[in-house]
Amino acid sequence: MAPPPNPIRRSLIGLLVTVLGAGLATPLAAAPVPLPPLVQPASTEHHVGKVIWVDLVTPDLKAAERFYSGLFGWTFSEIHTRSTDYALATLEGRPVCGIIQHLARAGEQRQPGWLTFIGASDVEATRRQIVQLGGQVLFAPHAVPQRGQQAVFADPQGAVFAVLASSSGDPPDVLASPGEWIWSSLLAQDPGTDAAFYQSVFGYEVFDSSSDDGSEHLILSSEDYARASVNGLPPGHRHPHWLNFVRVLDTLQMTTTVTQLGGRVLVEPRIDRHGGRVAVVADPSGAPFGLLEWPDSQSKEDMQ
Amino acid sequence: MKRGFAMLLGIAAVTLLPACVAGGGGYYGGGGGVDVTYGADFYEPWGYEYGGWGPRYWVGPPRGGDHGHGRDYTGGHPPAYHPAAPSRSMPSIPSRQRSR
Repeated sequence: MAPPPNPIRRSLIGLLVTVLGAGLATPLAAAPVPLPPLVQPASTEHHVGKVIWVDLVTPDLKAAERFYSGLFGWTFSEIHTRSTDYALATLEGRPVCGIIQHLARAGEQRQPGWLTFIGASDVEATRRQIVQLGGQVLFAPHAVPQRGQQAVFADPQGAVFAVLASSSGDPPDVLASPGEWIWSSLLAQDPGTDAAFYQSVFGYEVFDSSSDDGSEHLILSSEDYARASVNGLPPGHRHPHWLNFVRVLDTLQMTTTVTQLGGRVLVEPRIDRHGGRVAVVADPSGAPFGLLEWPDSQSKEDMQ
Repeated sequence: MKRGFAMLLGIAAVTLLPACVAGGGGYYGGGGGVDVTYGADFYEPWGYEYGGWGPRYWVGPPRGGDHGHGRDYTGGHPPAYHPAAPSRSMPSIPSRQRSR
């Protein structure tokens, strides 16, 4: 006759089996997305304070690919893991941005958007400073294989941005080609205090370029390059946010293409301070971005 | 029976050790998926409102070279940021062409 089962041993075995199952499952669920390096071949070039990357978070990866390839000629290489659908966009072989599919839960209203990554040398030190200055950590510093260290924050006025210390170097300071990101603007409740926040974090020089009608327009610069503008929220806007612009040759024609591809025009083409036309549009999922003309010529008059 | 139990314990240790390392201090796991490992999420609040951009609401980059240091704060509240020195001319975006 077999001896009666030892209840302690049975409990221990049960516990081990549970833990073993969890141990096997965790690496699968948490498998990091194998993102390609930001710069290939890798360089030692770093530009703290420069917008070095953008990622779109969207509920429909395929729809986004159709829209952006039709608009800018981007080509996509997809990366799929067990729980992730990601597409790397390239233009003439150069990485332009990433698109990640994220399904909203049923009944959940969420805003698809472009996440702006600003270059930093030490993400953890940047986190400490951001928190000290009243910013919020939305996603703590963590390593992304081949990409580097990154984290997501909200500034004290609520605009969301990410910080990235790229392990392969930062993209060089060259003029963006048509179809590449060329500029970023922060639309803030109080541009002056927000500029002070970003100046403390990234060491920007701040230039006041406000217009005669009182619209506040500050320029953040580093390494003697303009990196972004900070603008007051226009009347009716409630949410401070970053807005990124793609360089185009013809804003008017591109807004027509946007609507043909299922997007919307949010701000009609208009001449901006630099003399070229800008417009704000949204992709079919509603993610807003800007279009900006910037001719190669140095003459402002040539643009008008 | 004791041998089997020891083997099970050994397998558990080997399996769990890399999981703990991959956990990177707790950033992985917990959320159970890519949102936790990569950090991409719908961070923005719902709905953007556009419009209301006045004719001189400028968002674009400067052409560079201006000494536009904006308003005169003499006698008023100084800005929260440290303005660039008046001797500094406003920079533009990079103009160097990409080498082919």
